[in-house]
Amino acid sequence: MIRIQRSPIDVEAVIDSVRRDDAGAIAMFLGTVRAEPDVDALDYEVYKPMAIRTLADLVDVAKAKFGVIAMSIVHRVGRVSVGSDSVAIACAAVHRAEAFSACAWAMDEVKRVVPIWKQETGPRTPRAGRRRSSARRKTR
Amino acid sequence: MRVQVKLFASYREIVGVRQLAWTLKDGETLGALVDAVVDAYPRLRGHRDTMFLAVNRAYAQPDVALRDGDEVALLPPVSGGLE
Repeated sequence: MIRIQRSPIDVEAVIDSVRRDDAGAIAMFLGTVRAEPDVDALDYEVYKPMAIRTLADLVDVAKAKFGVIAMSIVHRVGRVSVGSDSVAIACAAVHRAEAFSACAWAMDEVKRVVPIWKQETGPRTPRAGRRRSSARRKTR
Repeated sequence: MRVQVKLFASYREIVGVRQLAWTLKDGETLGALVDAVVDAYPRLRGHRDTMFLAVNRAYAQPDVALRDGDEVALLPPVSGGLE
């Protein structure tokens, strides 16, 4: 399952999407929007066709690199409020070590190469919002 | 030839639109296109060194030759940083 969506992430559905009889482990990562002063939410913007393609490539590499059986990645776009999940990654493997490694690697890759940008919003945010540079990110 | 130039996040705010239609000479490179766009929108100049580029939805280098109908994207550094 690879999805970019505006609606909240159904975590159970993401986990179920990677369940396999030959998997002995499923690792799950959730990136959530953290509370910060004057931040109510993050607005995510995406270059969707490229993001979908990049995510699909990433899953293929994870399977080859770690031998994982199945991997799903779901990322929200639009406004995501503090406390909500912005990204979910589920990874199924024969043993837990590969599942943990692949999940951690995939999240690093999502942040590194997938064309998704975020912007803080809050009570003092000017109309155009405030862009957060990569050096001081607020989520995940 | 004619290409589409997609703009995202801070670049979209600077230029004021999500997409530009751009006409350039046959065989011109991605780098030449970016130079022309930056000349037309000088506020992009400060972002030139950290800008990532894509052609037809895949990351691309400035020396790639463009073709008629290509979809070019100017990408600010992503959330986690590609630099």
